[in-house]
Amino acid sequence: MKTTTILLALTLYSSVNFAQKIKGSDTVLPLSQKEAESYMKSNKMAKITVTGGGSGVGFAALVDNTTDIAMSSRKIKMDEKIKLQEAGRAYKEITIAFDALSVIVNPENMVSQLTREQLDGIFTGKIKNWKEVGGRDMQIVVYSRESSSGTYEFFKEHVMNKKNYASSVLSLPATGAIVQSVSQTKGAIGYIGLAYMDKAVKALKVSYDNGKTYIAPSMETAKGKTYPIIRPLYYYYLSTIEKTVKPFIDYILSAEGQKIVEQVGYVPLK
Amino acid sequence: MSFKRNVLLTATGLMLTLGVSITKLNAQESTENPIDTLARSVVKIQDDLAHLKKLKFSGYIQAQYQVADSIGAASYAGGNFPQYSDKRFAVRRGRLKAVYTGNWSQYVLQIDVTEKGVGIKDAYVKITDPWTKWVSLTAGVFNRPFGFEVEYSSSSRESPERGRMSQIIFPGERDLGAMITLQAPKTSPWNFLKADFAVINGTGGTASDFDFQKDIIARVRADKSSKNEKIKWGLGASYYDGGVRQGTSKVYTINADSAGLNAFKMNKDTANFGAMAKRQYVGVDGQVSIDFPFGITTLRGEYIQGQQPGTSTSTTSPSTQPGDVYVRNFNGAYFYFVQNIMQSKHAIVVKYDWYDPNTSISGDNIGAKILAFQGTTYKTTGTQDITYTTLGLGYIYKLDSNVKFTVYYDKVTNEKSINLGSSAYWKDLKDNVLTVRVQYKF
Repeated sequence: MKTTTILLALTLYSSVNFAQKIKGSDTVLPLSQKEAESYMKSNKMAKITVTGGGSGVGFAALVDNTTDIAMSSRKIKMDEKIKLQEAGRAYKEITIAFDALSVIVNPENMVSQLTREQLDGIFTGKIKNWKEVGGRDMQIVVYSRESSSGTYEFFKEHVMNKKNYASSVLSLPATGAIVQSVSQTKGAIGYIGLAYMDKAVKALKVSYDNGKTYIAPSMETAKGKTYPIIRPLYYYYLSTIEKTVKPFIDYILSAEGQKIVEQVGYVPLK
Repeated sequence: MSFKRNVLLTATGLMLTLGVSITKLNAQESTENPIDTLARSVVKIQDDLAHLKKLKFSGYIQAQYQVADSIGAASYAGGNFPQYSDKRFAVRRGRLKAVYTGNWSQYVLQIDVTEKGVGIKDAYVKITDPWTKWVSLTAGVFNRPFGFEVEYSSSSRESPERGRMSQIIFPGERDLGAMITLQAPKTSPWNFLKADFAVINGTGGTASDFDFQKDIIARVRADKSSKNEKIKWGLGASYYDGGVRQGTSKVYTINADSAGLNAFKMNKDTANFGAMAKRQYVGVDGQVSIDFPFGITTLRGEYIQGQQPGTSTSTTSPSTQPGDVYVRNFNGAYFYFVQNIMQSKHAIVVKYDWYDPNTSISGDNIGAKILAFQGTTYKTTGTQDITYTTLGLGYIYKLDSNVKFTVYYDKVTNEKSINLGSSAYWKDLKDNVLTVRVQYKF
């Protein structure tokens, strides 16, 4: 028994010792997981662990030196730059894919399209009932990510013009939780990365020209850049460990890696 | 180093978990699914970990070697030099901080351990209202919420010490009292604004109050980043209103004598004994950090003016009952320029500060003999009334997130007067200081 436990522990220790850790954005999480799985298949010695928590969590881990790569669905903030500088850590940023941020509702909701202004109204709390935007007489239940999420900030900046979320908005800790909650609540609305799209929820078409044209989020509209809510997805890593992380990053940027980007539901760089 | 330690801890934790799980599997294999047993163990560990994560320890040690221009130099670069020495090793700060964070409350205790002894730096409880999360109450010993430099951590500050004025009007930075803070939660667009209102003893640190009146501090701050996350700025305004109990019937204020020379005029009245001498400051501060291609540049500045009750020999805020009180109008400021070199571990700092403890008098008038009423109702000013400016030049090397080296030179210049008792003040004093410091922070 003791021998088995020790051997198991030694095996675990040796594996962990050569592991690369990736932490951060829940949006980037499914992509990193798939890329890591595929990379490890062809590189038997490589061990990569991927965990979410939000872009802010990834940057905090980069400062604390508890991750090798920080995944992010937003640019690094000035505060985070200063913290890295204070820690004497030089970092590099790389775009690995694009995402079409999708607004989702319950499949039973008859509303299938909204303008940016209507989305702004819903998330700031000015519009409270679906009948105000052409739907049934039903209260709108708004779900959002937590403030540590890059998606939370991107949506606030690009859709809500930096306005404040309504106090009634329900914050959820993970994108998966938003999908689940929206699928179970008839009057719900939320936003997720394209890769999280599920049949249990319905993606809305969005208009950024006051209702003249409505575009649905899809690989085609994202690639053609007709869908208006597109954002880059990033990896950040410390310059000092570039040699360690570069093979994996090069793999993601390779044709094979970018194919996985598309398979997962995100938009390849080219 | 930290990564290896974390890995080792993780492996040890997993080993223990698996060890426990395997033992349990043997004991319960006929009754329970092994996966359920393992899952239960993991949940228990997660619960324990969540509980432990509420308690956080941090700290830093600053060990340094200093060389002064002269033996026994009076200095604000870590205190006066010993009477017979111009060189010294010292542990300038040895901090250990424990913070326990509950759902809406926080316990903070920080001690300072150096060769001079052990002292309490922070000991406070902070409670945030659980409904709006806009209002916090802090009670105990905490940093006085005035300006920027007083609260800015010594472990992060680029110069080894705060400016002379900060050290004189807020010695030890802390005070005993209670504070209400208004700040919106991070999810609010109003989060960039912060207001503090504190009621404190006014004696500084953990010293017991010696008068009946409590002092108040009010401060408003705004901190924001630009949309492109290339610029971060902060602005603040602070107000201090308090007093010092007069220990005798004599109070000295600046007035012109019959020849028009400003000097201390004595007001002797039995009503003065036990009355309060006003202590009042106003200050404004600003900070900006810009992310240039050649590295992050930071500029900071703060200006304070006001009225300070002191003694005949000192303008430092009294922590014990003074005898005769001398009231002076003062002003002072500091400016920092910090340039990080690209994204490297190197940075340079230039700092300039001044402190004029008595704005009513300057130059050769300091210490000048009073022509009228000498020795009766007027007293001359002295060395405690001269202005000091300090130009600091420093180089910082950040080895990693734990270790920082600083080499810093303080060029101190004093106002000169031929009328001061000591001829040393006829020229610049030899009190420049070179500091070489290593800091470990965790």
